[in-house]
Amino acid sequence: MKKGAFVTGKAMICSIGETPKEIVEAVRDQRIRMAHLSFPLAGLPYTRPYYLIMRNEEDRPENRSDGYFSKILFSTAAAAVNEAELSDDELKETHLFFGSTSMDVPVFEGNHRKTSASVSEIFLRSSNGYGKIASAVMERLGIRGCNYTFTTACTSSANAFLYAASMIGQGRIERALVIGYDLFNNLGFYGFEGLKSIAVTTYRPFDRHRDGLILGEACGAVVLEGRNRVASDFRFLGGANLCDIYSVTSHDEEGTTVAETMNRALARAGIDPGAIRAIKAHATGTENNDRTECAAMRLTFGKNLPPVTCVKPFIGHTVGACGVCELILFTESLKAGFIPSTPGFRDKDEECNLTPLMENEETGEGVFMLNYFGFGGNCTTLILSNKRGEE
Amino acid sequence: MTGLYIHSASAFIGKAHADEKLLKEELRKYTPDNFRRVNRFILLALIGARQCIHDHSIAGDTAVYLTTEYGNLSNTVTVLDEIYTAHSLPKPFSFINTMSNTAAFYLAQNLGIRGRSLTVSSQNLSFQRGIDLLMTDWSACSVTSALIGGVDVSSLSEAGGDDRNARGWQMVDGSGWFYVRTERKGACGVFRENRSFQDGATCRKWIRDRKEPFEDLVAFGPSIGEKEAAEWRTALPTTDEFDYLGQYGYCGSAAACGIGMFVKRFRGRSLLHIDRNQLGNYAVIEVEVF
Repeated sequence: MKKGAFVTGKAMICSIGETPKEIVEAVRDQRIRMAHLSFPLAGLPYTRPYYLIMRNEEDRPENRSDGYFSKILFSTAAAAVNEAELSDDELKETHLFFGSTSMDVPVFEGNHRKTSASVSEIFLRSSNGYGKIASAVMERLGIRGCNYTFTTACTSSANAFLYAASMIGQGRIERALVIGYDLFNNLGFYGFEGLKSIAVTTYRPFDRHRDGLILGEACGAVVLEGRNRVASDFRFLGGANLCDIYSVTSHDEEGTTVAETMNRALARAGIDPGAIRAIKAHATGTENNDRTECAAMRLTFGKNLPPVTCVKPFIGHTVGACGVCELILFTESLKAGFIPSTPGFRDKDEECNLTPLMENEETGEGVFMLNYFGFGGNCTTLILSNKRGEE
Repeated sequence: MTGLYIHSASAFIGKAHADEKLLKEELRKYTPDNFRRVNRFILLALIGARQCIHDHSIAGDTAVYLTTEYGNLSNTVTVLDEIYTAHSLPKPFSFINTMSNTAAFYLAQNLGIRGRSLTVSSQNLSFQRGIDLLMTDWSACSVTSALIGGVDVSSLSEAGGDDRNARGWQMVDGSGWFYVRTERKGACGVFRENRSFQDGATCRKWIRDRKEPFEDLVAFGPSIGEKEAAEWRTALPTTDEFDYLGQYGYCGSAAACGIGMFVKRFRGRSLLHIDRNQLGNYAVIEVEVF
């Protein structure tokens, strides 16, 4: 028999807070903190916005050492474990699912600031493969289970969550720690600017005047278990992952594969589209992605589209970390009794034909859909519920 | 029993630092498609997987599980050079290709398949963990046919000047792939086991306590040192060894390549593959070739 997978612990740090409580309060009040960063290495005469973690001098990008990144990662992972109140024995038997896009590039850049050695020299010294970071978390926390590092661009930690929950559901494992981790790095910031994908001033997903994404940094961690610890713990009902082979950078604008992913996730969850209370859209704010996502939601839900929200305007596009981080932001807001609004949205785009929530909407229990898409054709949908009495 | 029936396998072993033009020539043997904006890692993935598929017809919802230790790291160095040395913004496709899942994308696009797509890693046990994830989808019946492979460019972190690593193994580019399906009919082999252990003692006990050990060859993965391999040799009833690392060389995906080579070479025989990671977790794969 299929078991449930419950989110029993979570922790997160991002531009608007370093605890889920702080983050939810900022979301409720639409308090956003954005920095404007320049491109000194390329000598460009302008800045671009970025959702930066900025608590003190140590957080300044130019002051960050390699130890800084481990500190954020380890403390977030430990806080999630503490919230779930895992015993040492339970922790030992836990399995780790890690999702990231930048992996250890920020560490490399931290090292690069301290030396005059060549790029390749430092990178070869800094990097021991993608799995190294997950191994370091295992060692630090005393976890002895298996570890899985997902590198599927912006769906990385959403896929990490999907597989952790599926393995628990099948009884393959009892417990998982799922981490989404992407901190500021020049490779990503300069890379997205090279693609001309970064918005100039404001994050406006689905808006007629949207002009791109705004990157952000975050680390989020959740503990998933086969039983809930408190009645309000969110339960994973089902999910799906498919590859849209239309283009390496964008999805088919008709939204066929994206809609198929949503439909398969609903089927896995055993629910009809009409049972969805609200949707957390991926909503990057880029021209093509938003149009595709709207087309896919129409294909899936027809005229009965539930409320849609876009949470990236609060914390930025945290790339590979967005799976876990947006899940925490969204579900913690729901627990606090509201579906978050979408700051920045003003004018409806006729092609998208969608107005996301512009004010927080009160809500009780329900079933919710979370969508994630990424480069390389990745599409991932998760269905979660906080309805009581179904565990 | 996993029920993962192998319908085809491949192991492409390439010379470290070989000219990418040669890789493109190799790929042209299997597909007329022209790949312009791809790098060495993507080319290796395409060559290995296309060799594996060869003339098999492949279902449209076939999933891709790409496992790797280092991914597109050489491409990442190139992009970092563009930023830190050339002081410019990265070229768009160079930046996009730093994301290693683009290799799985180009493969799916080339084959016209739209199933699940994952790119995963796990220090020293990437291929084994990839099979774990495939098994999860297999059990849920969300995947019934898949391409699973391991791909790595000759390891950046370990390559010495003479292209041999500290263990004396030749450093190579490697891409080992398996086309697996739920049906036994038409299969050339099967992954009989893919099992993980928290430590060596538990692993040894499991191997010792099996009621029907069947394998007639053993192979040790790259993380099993000489001393430990010697201990295993005395503990195991099987003494015949398939030394794929000595014969074909080493890359981050040596296990996938070695097992792929075994399936191609050893008809009617079976293999017990043992490896571990730096945390002391062990993983065993049992493969039978029909």
